[in-house]
This record gives sequence, structure tokens and C-alpha cells, in this order.
Amino acid sequence: MTRNLTNRVRVWLVAGLFAASVVLSGSFATTAQAQNKDPIKIGFSMALTGALAGGGQQSLLAMQIWAEDINKKGGLIGRPVELVFYDDQTNPKNVPGIYSKLIDIDKVDLIVSGYGTNLIAPAMPIAIEREMVFMGLFGMDNNSKWKYEKYFQILPAGPNPAVGFSQYWFEAVESLKPKTIAVIAADAEFAQNLKKGAVTNAEKMGLEIVYEQNYNPKTADFTPILRAANAKKPDVIYIASYPNGSAGLVRALAEVGTDAKAVGGGMVGLQFSGLMAGLGPMLNGISNYDFFVPEPTMDLYPGAGDLIARYQAKVKADSLKVDALGYYLVPWSYAYVDILGQAVNAVGSLDQDAIAAYIAKTKFTTVVGDVKFGPNGEWDQSRTLVVQYQDIKNNDLSQFAQPGTRKILLPGDIKTGDLQTFGSLRK
Amino acid sequence: MKYKFEIICLLLIVGLFALTQIVGNQFYFFIGFVILQYMVMAIAWNVLGGYGGYVNFGSAGFLATGAYTAVALINFLDVGLVEQMIAGGIIAGLLGLATGYLTLRLRGVYFAIATLALAIILETIVAHWDYVGGAAGTSILPKRKPELLGELIVDRKEGIFGNYKEFLFFLMGTVAIICVWISRYIENSKLGRGLNAIKDSEEAAECMGVPTMRLKLIATAISGGMMGVAGAPLASYLTFIDPLSAFNLEYAINAIAMPMIGGTVSWAGPVIGALLLGTAQQVSSLWIQSELNLLIVGVVLVVFVIIAPEGIIGWFRKSRKGSAR
Repeated sequence: MTRNLTNRVRVWLVAGLFAASVVLSGSFATTAQAQNKDPIKIGFSMALTGALAGGGQQSLLAMQIWAEDINKKGGLIGRPVELVFYDDQTNPKNVPGIYSKLIDIDKVDLIVSGYGTNLIAPAMPIAIEREMVFMGLFGMDNNSKWKYEKYFQILPAGPNPAVGFSQYWFEAVESLKPKTIAVIAADAEFAQNLKKGAVTNAEKMGLEIVYEQNYNPKTADFTPILRAANAKKPDVIYIASYPNGSAGLVRALAEVGTDAKAVGGGMVGLQFSGLMAGLGPMLNGISNYDFFVPEPTMDLYPGAGDLIARYQAKVKADSLKVDALGYYLVPWSYAYVDILGQAVNAVGSLDQDAIAAYIAKTKFTTVVGDVKFGPNGEWDQSRTLVVQYQDIKNNDLSQFAQPGTRKILLPGDIKTGDLQTFGSLRK
Repeated sequence: MKYKFEIICLLLIVGLFALTQIVGNQFYFFIGFVILQYMVMAIAWNVLGGYGGYVNFGSAGFLATGAYTAVALINFLDVGLVEQMIAGGIIAGLLGLATGYLTLRLRGVYFAIATLALAIILETIVAHWDYVGGAAGTSILPKRKPELLGELIVDRKEGIFGNYKEFLFFLMGTVAIICVWISRYIENSKLGRGLNAIKDSEEAAECMGVPTMRLKLIATAISGGMMGVAGAPLASYLTFIDPLSAFNLEYAINAIAMPMIGGTVSWAGPVIGALLLGTAQQVSSLWIQSELNLLIVGVVLVVFVIIAPEGIIGWFRKSRKGSAR
């Protein structure tokens, strides 16, 4: 009798243990708060942990600000907006399951992508299969393979993004009259696309590629790669890297140095507040792509300044542990959902075909200026900036919120500084 | 009845098929696929680790071998999913055989480290093999209307399955049931008894005439083959594959944790472990925004190591013995 009782207790213990683990998980569920009845649900995955969390967290906050704004204005077609999101942990493996859940369980009405090329790629086939409009956040040439007519993305790299992304960097370094180039790239989809574009631009300029090296994204020590590049004495070094690699390469540059006249190009992550403050003066001399910097000529994006100020105030007031400045992604994250919202309001329904057709033909006015999409859902023109890190004195983050630390080299009409050789800014 | 277990297996396969025809929500097939895939991995690991006592830390390497065999075949011949799974199983089985030949003279922690090293070597090779996407990975869009032996398999209106996820779920479920059958057969066969003898004392088994090396090689080949079959549909399931996803440590951890929790002494242990842990993980990973799913594995594993080192099966067997006294 007592034994039977013990057995029963054990059965219940095991069942309870697993039930508790499931319930515990459920209690951490963090879908957005439902506001009123019958909201329009916008679903997405976002890199809230992992290598791209620095970008994903600021994007999410920007999208939440947009949802607040749109709900204050009465929502979309008279219905409130609700964001439904899950952390993809910067792992492509998690993305298909998340989008399937968003569509089949959460019954979202609209989907947008998480942050970054590698996390957009696994969601594309699902959007295509379900024939849904899919807005991409900073995807590099994700649609070149699929040619899906309902895909649109916000990275302002022009109709040929792989080439357009680095075009200004090559134009900027032309003043240094380089003859040779070294190309270093991460073995990841985004960086490899970027590298292809850089090689095309280098060949167009007649540069001889003296060193070309891919590195594993898990690489921790970049000094051997840099020493090998230096041994070929390149005039300029183009780098296409993800945040961890970017930080590692900047540290390696500080340790090993280089005689190259220009270094940088496609280094993701140097725009994140955490990395900027952490690397501080080690960034001096690097010329890199960017999209929004606090320079006085940035009036191209009239709404962006105000949005960033609101973002920064929110981060401070709520003591949020996200990117403190938010220059890199906040305006674009706001804009890509805003475009979707504008299209829904204009069409007056959630008809995916009609929304896609409207986005394809319309020029949108957003916080990042006018946006018009071209073939494959890419921008019809490039608006990538080239900036150079100059005059960074210490690791104080506040200096990056002031003009002068990231001088705009191109486009010419908003230029705030001239390219200086890498070595001249390292003393 | 002599073939009672086989009849139950067949009924289960029919049941899986019926599920795909009744349940309309694709998401359940999505998570069902993952749980079944883990079940195959756990069963495969248990053939060598549970029966033979050889702890394999390189499960992800065998799974990825299956996955990348499938990618190579898609790129080269554009073959269907069933052919990919067969090829993935054969290649991973051969890899298991070769690995076994090279490493089975090692025991204990040295064998475990060797299998982990194998996974790292394979990952490095794949990361530098541009034909299958290299470290950047590659996107796979499964055929919209695949056919098998002239029959339309997937089509919303005319196919046997309404969508690709149902097809993947059914295939993986069938593979899991076949693996359960193989595992049960091994357990009750000469091979299983020989592996058990090796686990208890390899020297004693050798002295008693057990062909230890041959049995271990057979076990590594079967274990590797099963993992390869489980990995082959990964690219079609994810529609994007890169080394980070395919060689994820999560596979190796789960392949060990599930049999440990369910119990390694019987074929039912990995099945129970995969069902419980797999479900808990899927529910948690899709309802939370952190890596709590791995925390669950850790916590449950620690709890079981303390209160039930022989897993759920062992725990209940012990209890039953106790109550019988």
C-alpha cells in the first residue's frame, strides 16, 4: 500500500516537473500587450540575444514607438496595432519555427523581418509559400534568388545592393590614388554579398587585389589575418564583417597597425553604441559605411532627429539596457513598419496583393526621407553614407552624440569632412 | 501475438498519416517534426551510448553529414527528399563506420573527445566548401510539387499531403518508428547483448568470445546512419542551412540528455526522453524570448542525475522491484 503510494507520488513528481518547466516557460511569454479588441497583428522575429542583439534591441524599441504613434492616431484602418515578436537569438535555425507560429498560431495579419540578412533568408520561403507581403530590415540582396514580388526592404543600398553598398567607399578612397587592395570578409551571407560588390567596384577602379581572405565568424584573433594582409602591402583594405569580427579587427589594427591609406568599408557593428564606446580612440582613421550620424548636414531625414531624441529619452527614462544612441537602426526600423502601415491605410484592407502592388508603385514619405522601391524590392537609389572616425579622444559615449566624430565623406551634398589617411589619424 | 509490436508500429504510421489529413494547422507539424527528429537522434545515440557505453559527443557532426549530403544532392541532381534521406543515411553510416574503426580503440573520455573533434573537423570542411554554401550558408526552396514514383506528393488540391510540412512530419515520424523498431530489435538480439557485455567489461566480454570490435563497428555505423537520416531533411525544413544551424551544439546536448532522462537501458528511454524534453523545449523556445529552452535541459538533466541516474525507465523499474518485495 505504502509502496503503491510512493509510486504514485513519483509519477506525479515526474509529470509535475515537466509541467512546471512548460508553465515556467509560458510565464515568460512576452508577446506585446493587446490593446483593444480585434487589433491588427504584425508578427516578426528579432535578434534580442546573440551576436546581432545590439541592433535587434534598438530596432524593437523603434518599432514599439511606431506602434504607440500609430495607435495614438487611431491605428490602421481604424484598428489598433499589436506587435507580436519572438527572440530568434540571432540563429537562423529558430526563424522558420517562429514565422510558422506567428502565422498559424498567433494568426498575425502582417509579417515583417527581423534584423539582418542571415535572419531574413530563412523567413523568405515561408513568406513566399504563404504569399504574404514581407518587409525586410537591412537585408543584403535577399531577394535576388527568389525574385518575390511582395518583398521590400529598407537598407538604402540601391537597386544593386551588393555593388551599391560599397560604391561610395571606393569613390571616397579614390582621392588617395590607390593601386592595390586587400579584401577581408566574414564567411556569412551578408559579408559575402558585400565582398562580391566590393570586388566588382575594385575591378571597376582598376585596383589590383593583392590579398583576399574569408574568415570564420567564430574567429577571435585577427592579428594573423592582418599581418598576412600587411605583408602584401595593399594601399587600401576593404573589410566586410559582422559585429564580433568588426571589434576583433579594430583591436587587431590597434595592435598590429597597417601602412594602408584607408581601412574599413563594410564593418557592421561599429555603429552600435556599446562598440563605439568600448573601442573609443581605436576607431580613429577607419572609414566605414553608415546611414545616419549626428552631423549638421543630416537634414535629409527631417523626422529622424526627433525620433532619435524620443528614443534616447525613453531609453534613459526607463533605464533600458539597449543601444543608448540608436543612430544606426532606429530611423530605419521605424520606417519599414511605417511604410507597411501607410500602405495598409491607403489600400483600406489587409489584402496582401493590393498592399504589395501599392508599395511597389508608391514613393513614401518617412522619417528617413522619401523611399521608393525598385526591382526585387530594393531601393531605387543608393543612400549609403561613407563616414570617417576622427578626433575620438576617449571612451566616453557622449562624444559620439556630437558632430565631428563621424565626418561624412560622401554623398558630396551632405559632406562634412575630407578623407584623411588612416595612419595620419592614429597618432 | 508474435508480431504485436510490428502491428502497433504500422498502426502508428497510419495514425501519423491520418494526423496530416485531419490537422490543418501547419505549426503543429513544424514542432512535431523537431520532436521526432530529436527522437531519432536520441535513439541513434542510445544504440552506441546506451547499449555499448560509448559516449558520442559528435552527434551534430553525423546529423550535419546527412544535411549536407542532401544539400549537395539537391545542387547536383535536384533529387527528392526520400532519396536525400537514403543517401544521407548511407554517407553518415559509412562515416560512423570509419570513425568507429579509427576511434573505438579509445575508451571513456578519450572516445568522447575524439567524436567531438570529428564534429569540429567536419564543420571546418563544410565551412570551406562553397558548393554547399560554405560558412555563409545556402537557401533551399523545396520543390513546390514533388513527386514520388509518379504520384504527386505535395499539392494543396491534388497531392497526398496539403503542404510540405505535413510531408516532412510524416517522413520523420515514419523514420522515428522504424528507428524504434530497429532499436528494440538490437536490444533483444545478439548485438544488443554483446554491446551490453562490452559496457559492463570489454575485457571480460572479449574473453567470453564476444567479437567486441565487430559489434562496436556495427553499432557506430547504425548510430551514424540513423543520425544521417534524421539530418537529411534539415535543409528542407529550415529552407536555409549554414554550419551554425547544422552543427549546433544543441543537437549533441539533446541527443545525450534525452536518453539520459528517459533511461538508457531500454529502447523506450530515448523515446520518452525525447517526447518529454522535446515538447518542453519546443513550447518554451517558441513562447519565450531567451535561451530558457537549454536551461530547461540543464535543470532537468541535473535533477535526473541526482534523483534518477538511470532515467525515468530505470526509476520505475526500481520502484516496481521495490514494491514487489
